[in-house]
Amino acid sequence: MRQLIDIWIDAQTWLFETFVGPVLFRFGLMAWYEPGYSAVEFVMLGVVQIAIIAIGMRFFEKRWPLEKSSSDDRLILVDQVYTLLNKLGILPLAIFIVTYPLVQEIELTVRTWGFAPPRLERVLPWLGDNALASFLVYFVLYDFAAYWLHRAQHGLAWWWSLHSLHHSQRRMTVWTDDRNHVIDDLLITLALVLFSQVVGVQPGEYVLILMIGRLVESWSHANVDMGFGWLGDRLLVGPRFHRLHHALSTPEERHIQDHNFAPVFPIWDILFGTAVYDGKHRPTGVDDPIVDGDNGRGWIAQQVTVFGRFVRSLVPGLRRASVQ
Amino acid sequence: MKKMAFAAVALALGMSGPAWADAVLVLNSDEASFSILTRSGRTELARLPVGREPHHLLVTPDGKEVLVGSTVTNELLVLDAKTGERRRVVRDIIDPYHLGFSPNGKWFVTAAYRLDHVDIYRGEDFKLAGRIFIDGLPSHMAFDAESKTVFVTLQQTGRLVAFDLQTQAIKWNVKVGEAPAGVVMLPDNKRLLVALTGADGLVVVDPKDGSTTGTLQTGKGAHNFFPKGDGRHYFLGNRVEGTVSLIDTQDMKVVGSIRVPGGPDCMDITPDGKELWVTQRFLRRIAVVDIEQMKMVASIPVGKSPHGVLMLKSGATGSAVAPVRAASTAGDQK
Repeated sequence: MRQLIDIWIDAQTWLFETFVGPVLFRFGLMAWYEPGYSAVEFVMLGVVQIAIIAIGMRFFEKRWPLEKSSSDDRLILVDQVYTLLNKLGILPLAIFIVTYPLVQEIELTVRTWGFAPPRLERVLPWLGDNALASFLVYFVLYDFAAYWLHRAQHGLAWWWSLHSLHHSQRRMTVWTDDRNHVIDDLLITLALVLFSQVVGVQPGEYVLILMIGRLVESWSHANVDMGFGWLGDRLLVGPRFHRLHHALSTPEERHIQDHNFAPVFPIWDILFGTAVYDGKHRPTGVDDPIVDGDNGRGWIAQQVTVFGRFVRSLVPGLRRASVQ
Repeated sequence: MKKMAFAAVALALGMSGPAWADAVLVLNSDEASFSILTRSGRTELARLPVGREPHHLLVTPDGKEVLVGSTVTNELLVLDAKTGERRRVVRDIIDPYHLGFSPNGKWFVTAAYRLDHVDIYRGEDFKLAGRIFIDGLPSHMAFDAESKTVFVTLQQTGRLVAFDLQTQAIKWNVKVGEAPAGVVMLPDNKRLLVALTGADGLVVVDPKDGSTTGTLQTGKGAHNFFPKGDGRHYFLGNRVEGTVSLIDTQDMKVVGSIRVPGGPDCMDITPDGKELWVTQRFLRRIAVVDIEQMKMVASIPVGKSPHGVLMLKSGATGSAVAPVRAASTAGDQK
């Protein structure tokens, strides 16, 4: 195990010292030296995630597909673009540049007042002595925040106008998780980073939580009819559980997408009454021709179109009734 | 609970008295822990939790306690220097990134790197005497021998600032070069050396008025100093180049260079003066350098982004060499 870790660290150090560090040094950006090193790890983790998705998860989709191959397969391509842009750090870097000064300003202002973000360990000292327990507790808290943010994405009309892009995909696969508007990504990142600061998630823990969480979410979008068994499906979100959340609404089930919100731990849906375990197969997408129009568009066209939808949702005079 | 855990670890490791004196503490800044290693065994024995983003540590002037700065939780963890036992936590020390005691122990100073201020506390009880807000990422510090002035580098604005400890007034504030980090007062009390992390060497500064009186090329990313112990030679880590230079401060020239890969950062020397231990931030290791051979002879795995390092035995005798230790062991930067 130590050998594997050493290989990983050596690769990260080599990449940083060969490509990133000299650029930062050359342009007088030494204050970003450590963050730059962490960014290299983020990209490396992204490559690992892409490999796990493209090789591991796709194996199950190919072997046991829920929805058979059709002309809609071409709709998947744009989701792959989203995944590459996200996992390789291109969009996260842009989001980081926008959010970092704001997060920094908020944190520093609060700390200048004398308020230090408390580590949970101060309340639960035993956590400090158990790294695994500490990680799990922070993971659960992080997921709790993500659950309520997800509900807000559906409950607030202006936020739904952005988030509907994620739901518009009729051909849901392991690539769909990253299909989000950049403003949607930005808002979620900002909220979760601030939340993590408040509860005291360590930078190292945050990266791991993000990596594991996003892998679970990629898998939960897979085009397979799989779960983890009766108990497992109540402990971890899987494809069967999450597919219902993407189900196309019908006159009989108008609010079907207002269920199974949890990103990783279904306990939140169970506790707050939004869990549905019925095992039915439903088509995915959004029953709104405007939103459904996202299908077939490329990345830029989707971003521009959805931004327009977002603006209209904010300006009452421009709002269209059909946006859910 | 933590106290019990610490005691259990110490007991299991047989680390009390002389055994603890053989220990080396390394702060893992990215995982909120510190590693305990043995000098003789060159292995990590335990990893214990500490606040959040710990960067630097130092021994109190009386040699009885070790202070670990936890920057994000605004507190100092206080350990018994002899037994390693967790004694207490000092709260409301805002962003204690870099720490230092004045040579007479009267003042305790912290540089709040992220919050852009320098705090001057009374050394005896950590009561805040003054807080000076100053833009530019205050990172390292050094004191004059009379304990009247503290000199602080501002990494972002490229400046070195002198503060009067008694009045907390700024004496002078000068531009010294790109990204100044480590700063050390030489034993003659007439020259300050400032490492320029954004350049490839150091500048010599007159502590009276901040004027630059000399320069020396060492390596890219010159970062922080540590005294060899003879009053004449100093080690200087070059983070970008991955080397540690040995500088003769009398002739002001580089007399040796050691390859230490992985962003060499904080340093400390074994009590016998034979080994220099250097944290390798990126490699998650600490390097052991044989000073006579001027060669890295070992590299020991520790936690993520290891930063501050402290030899407990040498630290416990820190009061005798406080003027240099306050500015070197105690300090380093991101």
